[in-house]
Amino acid sequence: MYCYLYDEFIQENKRFERELLRIENRLTDLGVTGKVSRLALFRDAQEMIRDEIERGVSTIVVVGNDETVRKVIDVVTDNEVVLGIIPIGPQNELARMMGIPEGVAACDVLSARRIEKIDVGIVNGRRFVTGLTMPNFHAEITCEDKFRVTSVARQAELEIRNLADVTDPKDGRFEAVIRSAIKKGWGIFGRTQLKESVLPLKSMAIRSEKPISLFVDGEEMKSTRFDIGIEPLVLNIITGKSRVF
Amino acid sequence: MFKDKNKPAMPSSASGETIIAQGVRVEGDFHSQGDVIIDGEVAGSVETQSALTVGETAKIHADVKAKSAVVAGEVVGNIFAQEMLELLSTSHVKGDVVTSRISVAAGARINGRVSMDDGVPVSRGKKVSDDESEAT
Repeated sequence: MYCYLYDEFIQENKRFERELLRIENRLTDLGVTGKVSRLALFRDAQEMIRDEIERGVSTIVVVGNDETVRKVIDVVTDNEVVLGIIPIGPQNELARMMGIPEGVAACDVLSARRIEKIDVGIVNGRRFVTGLTMPNFHAEITCEDKFRVTSVARQAELEIRNLADVTDPKDGRFEAVIRSAIKKGWGIFGRTQLKESVLPLKSMAIRSEKPISLFVDGEEMKSTRFDIGIEPLVLNIITGKSRVF
Repeated sequence: MFKDKNKPAMPSSASGETIIAQGVRVEGDFHSQGDVIIDGEVAGSVETQSALTVGETAKIHADVKAKSAVVAGEVVGNIFAQEMLELLSTSHVKGDVVTSRISVAAGARINGRVSMDDGVPVSRGKKVSDDESEAT
């Protein structure tokens, strides 16, 4: 049994009206229709989905973008239901990596039901699928309680990748990538080069004396400590043939 | 923060290799299953069950254990390379070396004991065999 979750921005924007109509017609043709739930201000997505799961829904299909997925990731993972995506609008990186085409073409992928189990990252108790970024990285990382990593460069950024073009989201690890700006040469002849460190890890902790910003799947979190881990193979997701892993 | 148009959006490490680049310092017991490339600073211990590459800019103050190792930078500590150790011309090792096979380029510096295979020291500042050499 399917439940389609329409994000608020799709309902408000008239330019998606025709696309939505085409999607609904295609879903009817393919015989994969289901109940439609609409997100709105002051409506808790998690609660809505929980109610639908209690009524017997086994597949939650997000009609929206990465932000819509983020709203339901906890409840979908906790209840072990299948997640489908019909990507509409900008910021659909997760759908791209899962090989799901945008708009009405996604209905065919949904109907084929090629399900993969993938890892989900967790930071301070909050789940993420694609990754985290820390644009100004000047903190200390403790990796798997065994070794510490610091950047000695003047400028550095940190990226944690669970799902990217070159990572395997089924290996039970995420990748910590530190990009350090290293200056070569002197004065005006000096050039800055980016050096990239890559550490495949199962857990790590970031500590800082001052509160630092971390962007979780694009959304900002501020704290002096972040504990990051991975939950292996907990998300059942419908993927297309052209997925990146 | 940094934009580089020539750089691919998501580079390297599909095989699970670890890269410690210049500008990064690692302290503690660093253990890995996959290949390890070090161009930065490491203090503590380094161990991998695969290949280790120590770049020219690397500064390692640690005991190093690997299946095979290629060293072009500075290592202060003992090196145990199970199968093969290659010391390039820019390498500088201060510590004992234990390995099955060794290759030492002209210009490489070793200050320590070199033991082959069974762990028995066979040379100290002397040529080891036809395909094994040492430059101090």
